[in-house]
Amino acid sequence: MSKSIVKSVSSKSIVEQAKGSFHGGIHPAEFKNISNQQSIKDLPIAAQLVIPVKQQLGQTGEVVVNLGDRISRGQLLVKATGILSANIHSPADGIVTSLSPAYVGHPSGMKSAAITIKTDLEQSEGKIFEPIDWRNPSNLEEIQSRIRQAGIVGLGGATFPTHVKTSSREINTLIVNAMECEPFITCDDRMLKDIPKQVIEGAQIVANLVKAKNIIFATEDNKQLSIEKLSEAISKTTESIPMSIVVAPTKYPSGGEKQTIELVTGKQVPSGKIPASMGLLVQNVATLHAVFNAVVKGQPLYQRLVTITGNLVDRPGNYWIAFGTQITDLIEHFNVDVNDCEKVIIGGPLMGQSVTDFTAPVTKATNCLIFNKADKTEKAWLTQTTEHQPCIRCGECEKVCPADLLPQQLLWYSQSDQWENLQQQGILDCIECGACAYVCPSEIPLVQYYRYGKSSLKDIQRKNVIAEKAKKRFDFKEMRIQREKAERAAKHKKAAEARRQAALDKKNDSDGKQQAINDALARVKQKKASVGQAQGVAQTETDEKKES
Amino acid sequence: MMNLSSPFFHKAMPTNKVMMLVCVALIPGIITQVYFFGFGVIINLILCAVFAVSAEYTILKLRTREPRTSIQDNSALLTGLLLAVALPPTLPFWMTFVGVWFAIIFGKQLYGGLGYNPFNPAMVGYVLLLISFPVEMTAWLPARELAVSLPSFYESSQLIFFAQTADGLTVENFRQLADGFTMATPLDHLKTETTLGRMNSEIFANPDMALNLNGWKWVNLMFLLGGLYLLAIKIVRWHIPVAYLLAMIITSFLLNTYDNQLYAAPSFHLLTGATMLGAFFIATDPVSASTTPKGRLIYGALIGFLIVIIRTFGGYPDAIAFAVLLLNIAVPTIDHYTKPVIYGHKKETELHD
Repeated sequence: MSKSIVKSVSSKSIVEQAKGSFHGGIHPAEFKNISNQQSIKDLPIAAQLVIPVKQQLGQTGEVVVNLGDRISRGQLLVKATGILSANIHSPADGIVTSLSPAYVGHPSGMKSAAITIKTDLEQSEGKIFEPIDWRNPSNLEEIQSRIRQAGIVGLGGATFPTHVKTSSREINTLIVNAMECEPFITCDDRMLKDIPKQVIEGAQIVANLVKAKNIIFATEDNKQLSIEKLSEAISKTTESIPMSIVVAPTKYPSGGEKQTIELVTGKQVPSGKIPASMGLLVQNVATLHAVFNAVVKGQPLYQRLVTITGNLVDRPGNYWIAFGTQITDLIEHFNVDVNDCEKVIIGGPLMGQSVTDFTAPVTKATNCLIFNKADKTEKAWLTQTTEHQPCIRCGECEKVCPADLLPQQLLWYSQSDQWENLQQQGILDCIECGACAYVCPSEIPLVQYYRYGKSSLKDIQRKNVIAEKAKKRFDFKEMRIQREKAERAAKHKKAAEARRQAALDKKNDSDGKQQAINDALARVKQKKASVGQAQGVAQTETDEKKES
Repeated sequence: MMNLSSPFFHKAMPTNKVMMLVCVALIPGIITQVYFFGFGVIINLILCAVFAVSAEYTILKLRTREPRTSIQDNSALLTGLLLAVALPPTLPFWMTFVGVWFAIIFGKQLYGGLGYNPFNPAMVGYVLLLISFPVEMTAWLPARELAVSLPSFYESSQLIFFAQTADGLTVENFRQLADGFTMATPLDHLKTETTLGRMNSEIFANPDMALNLNGWKWVNLMFLLGGLYLLAIKIVRWHIPVAYLLAMIITSFLLNTYDNQLYAAPSFHLLTGATMLGAFFIATDPVSASTTPKGRLIYGALIGFLIVIIRTFGGYPDAIAFAVLLLNIAVPTIDHYTKPVIYGHKKETELHD
């Protein structure tokens, strides 16, 4: 079926088949029809929003509002600090009611800094920036700073601050990642179906900014309708930078940045290098739409399109949801039976994370929320047994690994804490796509072992750095002690020398004095002796008188 | 326990089912063995299964592990069955016991159990028996068409448990042909005759040899059938069996071309002894085999090569157990030098072709 789709669209010149392919990959059940049938809708703003202070990769910003402040929609709440950081704006008019830490969806249940806002019933438009005429070449710097001001980060899930990526000026091709290969998620697909023109304009803005010569939309052949809508919109557009669509066979994880690049160009990103080194910039559909919003509409990033899906949801689909909207509000809005819902998955079923505390909010990273009842008849879901079976090295995992790793060897070395071997086997090239665990007959939680291995390696590296520093400090201290000792010894020696000299001098000196004293004493004695002889008689007489 | 971090999706055949399907794939070969060599095969299978599971249970109890999950993974059962089909059908039961317990305890559990054993447990047990009891271990019955009479189920059990039947017949009696000679396995026969200076044309012209070979040929073809089934359901990957069989063909072809009166033809090597059992069921044991794609080819090819070499020049007629164990030792080295190139680690020239 998939092949016929490509054929039917490939007659149009802008659509072509992917040149390359990547190793491995899996074909999980898609579950995309649940949410991709309905057009995009707005979700009313909830009465309370809990906005995490950190929502992106990199440094945490600085909170610039105070408790009790009245704030307006679009107002800056958190100011970026440093390059790898992003602004956060208020999604609503309202009042800051709390600045204390709240549960923000961390798997450990840990609380993090958050801003709680009680929202107003009446909401303003929230377009706080002036639109920029992006086609005017003199406005490039302004666009770059706008992307930064608007707090835009990669909305495909990685949340890497976008302005860092768009600061390059040596890009040949902008690749728009519309693969969306994980089951259940349909927000990019739906965006291309409903508002392709806005996405195209966003892509043109970014391509123009980074001086790209062409734009390639990369997608999978299971998204026939969005391919049609997009190619229609491309053929009608008058934008200057040429655009085309590359369609890859549906296979997970084709949406991984490295895999997308290999599919589109047939080349691999060298290990340790970034796509920009190959003249490529990869941006997600939703990110480009956020750029469009910021530059053309003047709206900062304070909401995103989220797929609400799963068999417990009343009206599944894709909704514009304000950051800070809590899952509890969504449960209410979509009539989810909480008793059937032991956990909610944020993201997809292969790379997402689960939360069991439903006060967790929607953030910049939330592309999909799955409310699914654990259905025993549905074999796709992992039925976690308490103890997995041992690895029999069958190699199924190696067959599906998109990074050409040997997952069975990574497991072996992770389990036995053999960090050096683990690194040699390339653990750091693992993208944690979960394809290996998906096919493992022993149901081994492989990715969890790799996360453990990676964090242990990181820890060791950190400790090595500290140890290296400590060694340097120790060596320096030793050197300093030696030096001081030597200095002290020299000083003492000098002082002793001086003392001895002084003593000697003094002695010499006092010898002369003594002589003088002795001479004087001798003279006195002599004098006394002569006087005493005369006085001696008289003295004796007086003594005798006293006694009597 | 609830799974809290991704991935939440899973789709694979569970390990215990994999093991069970391998057992199932043995069935055509087993039936053929029973047909040609009598019911001793069945008794051995039952004994080995019971001994293997009881050994697994005992050692796990001693290791204070929960035996249930390990026994349910069917790997001990599979080890037992693989050893059973390799044993002569009238082997005394206590030898079988020694072999199976040694295989499970020393070949597997003392290394840490399933997944941690560097050697193929069934072959560890087999080699122990072959070295300790060479006479009994090579006392194969002649194939059905050649035998005067094959022992019945009852006679087989008497031979296995009491070393003779109620009528006082021993294994040797059953091995005797109509002319009073005994017949070794074709591999053994070829070896003995070659040592005596006979030509291949002479040896293979013997009608007894041809009849015996016929039995072994069918057993091998049926194990091949089971192996192809495993390939079809993707439990076994093609690398090891293909490399193994190709290496055997090439090695024996070269030797045979060099001197066809001294060295047997590839067709002989492929369809006698435990060739097909080894190719699809023994060498493919993933735990003790090489785990990289290239490594599997090297591993399989070296086993195939060694089988022909040991069969032709070695002291033991059949060589699969030795070849497999030797290559098991080499696995860490093979794995080390055959790591696939990781994404993004290709040389610059390959990256930007």
